Amino acid sequence: MLWNSFIYFAIASLLFWAAGAYFAWKSKATTAITLTVVGLCVFFAYILMMWVTLERPPMRTMGETRLWYSLFLPLAGLFVYGRWRYKWILTFSAIMATVFICINLFKPEIHTKMMMPALQSPWFAPHVIVYMFAYAMLGASFLMAVWILWSPRSSMPKNLGGLDNLVYVGLAFMTFGMLFGALWAKEAWGHYWSWDPKETWAAATWLGYLCYVHYRRYPHRRLPSSKEEGQGVVVIDRVALWMLVVCFLLLQVCWWGINYLPSAQGTSVHTYGM
Amino acid sequence: MIWKKPWKLTEGFLIGAGLIIVGLMLQLSIGPIHWSLFAWPVNIIVLAVLLLIIGVVFILRKRVYACQFLGTYAAAVPALCYAVGLTVVMGLVRQVAPASPEEENLWLHDMLTFWPFVLIYTYIVLILGLVICKRWMSMRRYDFVGNVSRILPFLLNHLGLFIALTTATLGNADMQRLQMWTTNNPEMANMFSGADVFHQYERFAMDDAGLKHELPLAIELKRFIMEMYDDSITPRRYASEVIIYSKSSLHQYAATIDVNKPVEVDGWKIYQKDYRLTEASDASQISILELVSDPWLPWVYAGIFMMLFGALLLLFQGRKTVPPSNRQTV
Repeated sequence: MLWNSFIYFAIASLLFWAAGAYFAWKSKATTAITLTVVGLCVFFAYILMMWVTLERPPMRTMGETRLWYSLFLPLAGLFVYGRWRYKWILTFSAIMATVFICINLFKPEIHTKMMMPALQSPWFAPHVIVYMFAYAMLGASFLMAVWILWSPRSSMPKNLGGLDNLVYVGLAFMTFGMLFGALWAKEAWGHYWSWDPKETWAAATWLGYLCYVHYRRYPHRRLPSSKEEGQGVVVIDRVALWMLVVCFLLLQVCWWGINYLPSAQGTSVHTYGM
Repeated sequence: MIWKKPWKLTEGFLIGAGLIIVGLMLQLSIGPIHWSLFAWPVNIIVLAVLLLIIGVVFILRKRVYACQFLGTYAAAVPALCYAVGLTVVMGLVRQVAPASPEEENLWLHDMLTFWPFVLIYTYIVLILGLVICKRWMSMRRYDFVGNVSRILPFLLNHLGLFIALTTATLGNADMQRLQMWTTNNPEMANMFSGADVFHQYERFAMDDAGLKHELPLAIELKRFIMEMYDDSITPRRYASEVIIYSKSSLHQYAATIDVNKPVEVDGWKIYQKDYRLTEASDASQISILELVSDPWLPWVYAGIFMMLFGALLLLFQGRKTVPPSNRQTV
């Protein structure tokens, strides 16, 4: 069975990603990027094989969405590394991908060919892929926020500009995911927004990140002026970092937490793994 | 010092708290919001009043400080915080549809009719309207193109959300969702329509309250299609081959209605909703169709597509103008 071959692809990808992370620490950017890309190709090849074998997009069960998340985390890491050259980001994304791959290895969910008619839509793949990519970008921004919150002052970045850019990309993709979902829902269930528990939590998460980006644009009078900042004063807004932590918690509830929330039982069209 | 100009986040949070208290008082005194009261033409009047309020507040911004404040980040951030909080509460408390249309105050169990929730979202819409006016007016006539390229993502995101929120909420009362049970078995057909004479077609549909509505169209079920996966329990596909008779155009259309592939006739979208299996052969199945009419949909879609386009621009453009305190050095 195809699922049994997952471990080989997973180990191969993880080795490439680990090697990429190692070379990032050694400041060998080209090697790091190449190895990460090869790892991504190996992992994506497995997803494609599943897609072909299952005769449907592998996105129906939680296990299948974790596959995409494991793919997009190193991709998001690569994006950040390519743009801002943070040495630690590839290590972080590789560790996160390992966690999700391990969940899939130790608690595999049965992957069948069956897919209920409501999911058979051209919107299905873009809705899930775009959301998983957003989750990965926002996951990366969460890791970065946590890292800044608990790292020594000397190793902090000068400000949160890079973090903001990550959130902007994540928020844009989240908007795509949410609105693709709305357009799909109109075709499948007759209405574009029904305040289904998943939709409610998606709205809360989306508003949370909107809150962050607006808060970051709010002019803080008490913080040192740009002149001082230019002289190497570290200006870190801890409230903003905590907002990212809270938003990421909301995102987790939206993604898998609602499966365990008493208020959401039996009322959502977004129940996975049936 | 509170309420000392310029107002900051604290004042923003206090205004939001004030709205929630007002909302709670309204909930206690007049009870939950009855959205059905907003049916046409009330909704268009409410929308006009809302736009008027935004216009007046915008004009008064130079004279009344509070009006100016509503267009700032110090107002927007707390408003968004409250919206997140109330939406989280909505996610944590099981939402129940009122069992009867009579007065029933479900408080947190029916957030959409809960005054504080609605007031906070309305407050956000007000802020949205004001910042849109502010940005629009700040566009200078000279260098229009340069300004547009900078302001376009902002306008698409904010105006799109404004349009989608207002039209979806106010238009909801005009939306009709009806269920139609169709069958190609004559005996059952008589049971549904209550008619003495057997009609080949069905022209009535029921709303949520069980009220029967006569439609401007009629539907005849020719064949119900049911395909199973190999386990012969899980449906792979179910669909209805129908003929739709339109009253207005006197035309008849043959169509196949699949899940995810609704058919639109005379402003009604017709969905394959459900089915009932009977003991008998495939020839006499019951196919349940849903008919939806939503006259405000084009406006909501306009808002949604503006937001999609705005998000796309956000992605390509990134941040160019950064407030001094956040300027990028990485």
